[in-house]
Amino acid sequence: MSRGTLIYAAQRLVLITFTAIAVSSIVFIGIHQLPGTALASERRNNPASEAALLHRYHLDLPWTQQYVIWISGLVHGDLGESMVYQGTQITPLLLREVKVSLTLGLAAVLVTVVFGMSLGVLAAIRQNTWVDYVASTTAVVGYSVPSFVWAFLLILLTVSGFYAWTGGTIYEDIGWGKPEQIPVPALALGLPYAAIVARLTRASMLEVIRQDYIRTAWAKGLSSRVVVLRHALRNALIPVLTILGPLITGIITGSVVIEFLFGIPGLGKEFVTSILSRDYNVVIGVFTFYAALVGLANLAVDLLYPVLDPRIRY
Amino acid sequence: MTRGSKFRSLAVAVSALWLVTACGGGGTSSEALASDQTLRFGLANDMTSLDPAQVDSAVDITFISELFTGLYKFDTKLNIVPDGTTGMPDVSTDGLSYTFHLRHDMQFSNGDKITSKDWVWSWTRTVRLNGSYAGNLAPIKGSADVAAGTATTISGLTAPDDYTLKADLTAPAGYWLSMLAMPTATEVLDQKVIDAAGDLHWTEKVDSYIGSGPFKMTARTPNASMDFEPVKSWWGGDTGKLTKVHVDIGIDDVSRVKKFESQGYEMVGMANNGPGPDDVLRYKNDPVKGKLLTVYTGARSTAVGFLMTSGPFAQKAGTKPGDPTTNPDDPGLDGRRAFSMAIDRVQLADIACAHAITCQPATGGPVPKGFRGYLGDNGDPYAKFDAKAAKDLYTKWDPTGSKVKGMSYRYNTSAGNDKRAQNLVAQWKANLGVDVKLAPSDFPTLQRDRRTKTIVIGRQSWGIDYDHPQDWFGNLFSCAQAPIGRGNDEGYCNPAMDALTNASDAKPIDAAMPDYLKAMKMLVDDQVWMTIDYGTQPYMVQSYVKGAGYNGLYDFPWEGIRLLQHS
Amino acid sequence: MATSVPAPLEISEEFLAPVSSEELPEQVTLWQDAWRRLTRNHLAVVGLVIIGIFLLTAIVSFVWTPYPTWRQALGPTYQGPTLAHPLGLDDYGRDILSRVMGGAAIALSVGVGASLVASAIGIVLGLLAGFYRGKIDVVISTLINISYGVPDLLIALILVVLIGRGIQNIILAIAITAWLGMARLVRGQTLSLREREFVEAARSIGTSNTKIMSRHIFPNALGPIVVQATYLVPAAIIFEAFLSLLGLGVPPPSPSWGGMASEGYKALQIAPHIVLMPCLALSLTVLAFNWVGDGLRDAIDPRMRR
Repeated sequence: MSRGTLIYAAQRLVLITFTAIAVSSIVFIGIHQLPGTALASERRNNPASEAALLHRYHLDLPWTQQYVIWISGLVHGDLGESMVYQGTQITPLLLREVKVSLTLGLAAVLVTVVFGMSLGVLAAIRQNTWVDYVASTTAVVGYSVPSFVWAFLLILLTVSGFYAWTGGTIYEDIGWGKPEQIPVPALALGLPYAAIVARLTRASMLEVIRQDYIRTAWAKGLSSRVVVLRHALRNALIPVLTILGPLITGIITGSVVIEFLFGIPGLGKEFVTSILSRDYNVVIGVFTFYAALVGLANLAVDLLYPVLDPRIRY
Repeated sequence: MTRGSKFRSLAVAVSALWLVTACGGGGTSSEALASDQTLRFGLANDMTSLDPAQVDSAVDITFISELFTGLYKFDTKLNIVPDGTTGMPDVSTDGLSYTFHLRHDMQFSNGDKITSKDWVWSWTRTVRLNGSYAGNLAPIKGSADVAAGTATTISGLTAPDDYTLKADLTAPAGYWLSMLAMPTATEVLDQKVIDAAGDLHWTEKVDSYIGSGPFKMTARTPNASMDFEPVKSWWGGDTGKLTKVHVDIGIDDVSRVKKFESQGYEMVGMANNGPGPDDVLRYKNDPVKGKLLTVYTGARSTAVGFLMTSGPFAQKAGTKPGDPTTNPDDPGLDGRRAFSMAIDRVQLADIACAHAITCQPATGGPVPKGFRGYLGDNGDPYAKFDAKAAKDLYTKWDPTGSKVKGMSYRYNTSAGNDKRAQNLVAQWKANLGVDVKLAPSDFPTLQRDRRTKTIVIGRQSWGIDYDHPQDWFGNLFSCAQAPIGRGNDEGYCNPAMDALTNASDAKPIDAAMPDYLKAMKMLVDDQVWMTIDYGTQPYMVQSYVKGAGYNGLYDFPWEGIRLLQHS
Repeated sequence: MATSVPAPLEISEEFLAPVSSEELPEQVTLWQDAWRRLTRNHLAVVGLVIIGIFLLTAIVSFVWTPYPTWRQALGPTYQGPTLAHPLGLDDYGRDILSRVMGGAAIALSVGVGASLVASAIGIVLGLLAGFYRGKIDVVISTLINISYGVPDLLIALILVVLIGRGIQNIILAIAITAWLGMARLVRGQTLSLREREFVEAARSIGTSNTKIMSRHIFPNALGPIVVQATYLVPAAIIFEAFLSLLGLGVPPPSPSWGGMASEGYKALQIAPHIVLMPCLALSLTVLAFNWVGDGLRDAIDPRMRR
C-alpha cells in the first residue's frame, strides 16, 4: 500500500467517525423529542417506582444533559443499557449481532457478485442468442421480485419442499447457528442485486468486447480468447465496484427485513424489535453501528480500486 | 428403486441412527430414565428483569420461582403450601397480626444461612424499590412510609427471634396469603451479596446472582441463552432428576415448534412462550401429534373497555375520574350493551385463536372459567350474540350515527390482538353498520393513554395473579383506582359495589364469595367490560418427558420434570 | 434508493447531452420519436398493458369488488382457491381476490404518489443546486453524500414511527428518503446544461433565472427525469411492502399487498396462497414498471437513434 493510499484511508476513517457520531447524534436528539418511553408495563406502577426507573436511565434529566452523558459513554465505546431488558449492556450485545449480520451480508455479497457476474458474462459472450435473452429477462425478473418474495419462495422450497420430501432430514428449521442455515437467507438477500450486477456486467463486457484490439485477439485463437476474457473481465469489474457501495447499502437495507423474516439474530432484527418496543437506547446504538459499518464498507470498496486498476492512485 | 426413493430410505436410515445416538440408549420406551437429563426450551424475548423486587412479566416469574424462595407457594393444584415456613401462619382473631414460623435449615446457594433478619431486609428493599409487585407488601403497617421514602424500616414488620417473623397489618386482608404465595417481590435475598455487587447490578453476573431456590443460574449470555443447574444438597430436599436446564432466547413461536419437532426442545409452553395458533391447529388435527398437545385453561381475560366518565359510552358524562359514575339515567348503557351483543364471540375465537384453541369465547363475565368470580357459562347476558337485537338497541340509542362518528378502537399490537381487533371492527361494521377505526400502538403508549382516562373504547385484559376476586376488584374496578394515573382505566366508580367488595376483602374467601359474585353481576349489568375471550395455555411436550404441565397460573416446577429413555 | 434503480449508473456521457432540433433529419419532435421507439419495444408494451390492467382494477375497486375487502368469515379461514373465491380466503376468512384489487389501488397510490412528491422536491432542489451553486449546492451535495452512508429503510422506519402510519404519511416518509436521488440527477443535468450556448443566449437577452431554469434547462433534462421517476414508482411500492412486513406500513384493515403478505407469512406452510397471491401481483407490477422504465430509457437514448 502506497503512502498516498494510507493517508487517504486515514482521512476517510476520520470522516467516517465524524459521520457516525453526527448521524447518531441526530437520531438521539430526534428520538428524545418523542413522547412515551419503553418503561411502562402492564401492572399499575405507582409514581414512585416509575420515578426510580426513569432515574436509572437518566430520563429525568433535560435532554441536553442526557446527550452529554451519552456522548461521553460513546467515546469510551459504551452505548449504555437497554431500557426494556434491564441489566443488558448494549455494546457487547450489538457486537455479537454485528458478527451475525456481517456473516450474512458477506454471504449475500458473494452471491451477488458470483451469480451476477457469471450471468452477465454468459449473456455478453452469447449476445443476442437465446441464452442472452433468457439471462437478460431473468435479470429483470430478478430485481423486480423483491427480496422478501424470494425469501418466501425459498422457504417454501426448502422448508416445505426439501424437508417434506426427505422425510425431515434436510433443512428443518429457519434460524441461525448452523452453517447450512446461511445459504437460503443469503440467496434471498442477494438475488435481486445479483440481477442488477448481471445487467451491469453484461453491458460493460459488451463495451470491452466490442473494442478492436479485443476483436483481433479473439480471432487469433483459443489461448488469446482466455487472455481476452480475463482482461475483459478485469475491466468489467470496475463498474461493478462503482455500484458495490450502494449495493452494500442496499444489502444492509434488505437485511433488516430478511433477518426479521428468518429470525436471524443480527443488527437488522435488533433494530426492528427495538423500534417497535421503543427501546431507544438500542435504536441509537444500532444506528451508530450502521453508520460506521456503511462508512467502512464504502472505504473498503474505494481501497479496492487501485488493486484492480493500477492507474488509480490516492 | 428410483433415485428419489433411494435417497429417501437413506435419509430415513440416517435420521434413525442420529435419533438413537441422540437419545443415549436404545430399546423401547420404558420407565427407565434417559442418561441425558437436560431440559431445553426457547423464549421469544429475554427476561425483562432478573431481580425479584423488579420482576414484572409472566415469563420472568417462571424463572424466579425456581431460583428464589418465598414464605409460601402454590402447588400444582393451586393450593397455598409452605415454602420457607414450617406451616400456615398464626393469625390473630382480628386478622391484623400474622406470625410466620420460619424453617431453620434454609440457606442460599452460596451457603449463607437464612434467618428472619434476611426476610426483613429483603421485604424492606422491595418496598423501597417500588417495583411492580411491591404492592404485595402494602398491607403491612408502615410500608407506605418506606415506599414514599420517609422511613427506612417498615414499622409493622418485626423479627422476634431468628426464625420468627411478625407482620402487623393496617386492615384485615383475607387475600394477603395469596399475594405472599406469588413468586415475585416477597422472595428472600442475600443482603451480603447484593450490598457487595450493587443494588442495580447484582443480577448481571452469575456469581452474584444468588438465591435460595432449588436451581441456580450457571451461565447467561444476554439475548442469547441461559443455563441453570440444580443446587447440590438443597435444604428443601429433592431437586428432581434434571441435571441442567438450557434456555435459548430469540426464538419465535414458529421456530420453537420446529425445534421441538426435530427433538431439539423437550417442550414448548414453559414461561408463557407457547406454540403459535397455526401450529396448535396443525397438531390438534393430527392423530399422532395431537397426543403431545395439551391445552390448559389460562388465567387471562381479554375484553373491550368503555370509558365511563366522558364520550358516548359514559355512564355519567363530565364526571371527574374518581367521582362516582353511577347514574339512574346512564345514557351510555344501551350503546355498551348493543356493542357487546353485536359480537359473535364464537366467530371471534374461531378467527383470532386458531379455531378457538388459544382462546375460548367468554360468556361468564370478566373472570375466566375455572377461577373464583366466574359467573357460570352464559352468566353474562350481554355476551350472547344477537345481531338483530343489537342493531335495534343501537338504532334506538344512536339513530343519527353521530355518537360513533370518528370512533377508534385502541389496542396494542401483537399477533393475537391484531386478529381480535380486526374481527371486532369487522363485526361491528357488518352487524351494526358502524365504522370503528383501528388505532393500534405499542404497549407503553397504550398504557400511558389508558392512565389519562381518555380512551373511549379500547382493549382491556387482565392476567390473574392469584385465584381471589380481590385481585380484580382491588386493581381494576374500585373507586380508589378510578382517578387519573391509577388502574381503573374506565373510570368506573360504583360506591355500592365498593362497599360490598371492601367488606368481602376482610372475610375468609368462602364466606366472601356470594358477595363477590353479587358485585361481579353489577359489573356485568353495567357492561363496564365487554369480555370477549378467555385465554388458554397450549403446551407441547415430548412423549418421553414426564411431570411437565401448567396449573392455570404457573408452570409445574422443574423438580418434578424428568426425561424417560426414548428411541 | 438502492433497491431497484440501476438507471442512473448506466447513463453515459453522451446521453446527458441535450438534443436540439437541428440534429433530427425529420420533422419529428423528441417525444414523438421516443414514443415510436417505445411502442416498438415489446417488453415495454407488455409492461404498459400490465400497468393498464392494474390501473383499471384499482379504479374499479373504488366502486366494486366481488366481496367487501373488510368482511370476515365469508367461509372457513385459510381456504384455498374455489369457484366462489378464485384466489381463496385469508386467515380471517376474507376474499383474497377482492383484497388484491383493493391492494392495487393502494400500491399505485403509494408508488405514483411517492414518485411525484420525491420528484417534485428533487427537481426543484436539484435545479437550484446545479444552477446557483454556492451555499445551496454545498448543503444539498452534503446531504446527498451523507445519504449514501445511511440505509434509507432505517430512516423511513424512524420517520413512520414519528409521524404515524397512514397512507399519506407513508408516501411522505418514502418521498423524504427518495428525493435525494432525483436531486442528484437533476443537479448533474443542470450543471452541464447551464454551460450551453442557448442558456448563454437566453441570459444575454435578459431572461430571468427562474425562466431559464424552467423554460430552458428543465425541458431538456426532462428525458432522464421521466425515466428516473418511472423507476421510482416500483421502488416506492417495494419500500411500502418492506414497511408492511415489519409492521409499519399502511395500517389494517387496508388491503395493501405487503400487509397481506405479512399477515399470511405465519401460515406460509399450511396456506401459501395467502402470501403468494399478493406477492405475484406485486412482482408483476414492479416488473411492468421496470420494463416500461427500461423502454423509456432506451427510447430517449440518442445513441440508438436510426
